[in-house]
Amino acid sequence: MTNSAAIYQAALEKLHQYLQGYGPLTKHEFREMEPYIEIREFDKRVKVIHEGEVERYLNIVAQGLARKYLPVRNKEITIQLASEGHMIHSELSFHYRVPSRSVVETIEPTVFFSISYDSLEQLYEQIPGIERLGRLLITDLFIKSDTKYFNQLRKSTRERFLEYVRTHPDMVQRVPQKYLASFLNIKPETFSRLKHLTRGGKTLKG
Amino acid sequence: MFVYLNWAEPTFIVSTLFLTMLDMLRQYISGYVALTGEEFTVLADKLVVREFDKRQLLVRVGEVEEYLSFVVKGLARMYFHKGKTEMITNIAREGELIGASSSFLSGKPSYYYVETLEPCTLLSISRSNLERAYQESPKIEKLGRLVTTYFVLQKEEWELECMRLDTRERFLRFIGNNPELLMRVPQKYLASYLNMKPETFSRLKNHVKKRPVTGRP
Repeated sequence: MTNSAAIYQAALEKLHQYLQGYGPLTKHEFREMEPYIEIREFDKRVKVIHEGEVERYLNIVAQGLARKYLPVRNKEITIQLASEGHMIHSELSFHYRVPSRSVVETIEPTVFFSISYDSLEQLYEQIPGIERLGRLLITDLFIKSDTKYFNQLRKSTRERFLEYVRTHPDMVQRVPQKYLASFLNIKPETFSRLKHLTRGGKTLKG
Repeated sequence: MFVYLNWAEPTFIVSTLFLTMLDMLRQYISGYVALTGEEFTVLADKLVVREFDKRQLLVRVGEVEEYLSFVVKGLARMYFHKGKTEMITNIAREGELIGASSSFLSGKPSYYYVETLEPCTLLSISRSNLERAYQESPKIEKLGRLVTTYFVLQKEEWELECMRLDTRERFLRFIGNNPELLMRVPQKYLASYLNMKPETFSRLKNHVKKRPVTGRP
């Protein structure tokens, strides 16, 4: 592609805006970050990190769709679905530098903004200004994960389904049903039945 | 209800007890960052000591959590109601943090109750004071980032364990890592925390008594 440099720049511009959504990040600071950011492209259904590997990267989805799952006794439990603008990596492995128990796999062809563990450490050393941004990003992540955890425990299958469909209509189109069912901890049969209900012209309120 | 002490007030006498509390906190923090005496003071200046009897609610569902607290002494639990059942999501003891942390961080109403199980002494910081500490010291901002990262990882680890391990494995792992909680926490709470029926918990415990296990499975 002849204009790949332009595409790259446009993508970085998008990343800058995305990060600014969390905290102040000047053009200058972002320029300093740029050399540390890698753009990684994957085909669909590619394992980005395998079970047993140490996670090298923190990824933000620039384009595409990926999932994280936990292999348990011949089953795969989908624990995260990440579309554009979401962070996905094997967190425990990344932070504690231990072999990953989970697998990150693309669902669609996917482009990541990735930063390696070492680069991230260097970034925090060299640009003190991004400490706040890092804190705010991780805080947002924690609040979201706590809300999801709470909903999972507290809400009924039907409530979980309806809330997800209402808040993520695009994901219902994009994500294979079996992954969605696993993610919401709903049996595939139940998921189909609930999906059928929402199509049936009945208005379901959560 | 609780004793409110602010060491920045001239009336507050810095007791050896308070210094011991600060030492404990400092020890905890050193696991994340090395703070200079000056940096630590930025934080220490903003702390309050809160004391609670057992069975007191620190936060109710729907209230906004105003404090992040370090347990100097005591034991507390975090829970919510699912129908008539109490679901316990966290138990904190000495040297750990307690509070409805996502409500504290978001400033939104808590999904959880936080209740003391034993009389508690807490070193607490309010949201506005923590914000001030972040403004005053980049090192404390870093501490905030690392502690919050730890919150995320702890949650992730717990969730993965719940999926990966069966009931028995979860039980063995938990009591292997937290033998003293078995003595301090009512059994039904531990069962709830481990998301198993009290009968199952009891059965596993009796089983272990006959054939003791050590360490992680």
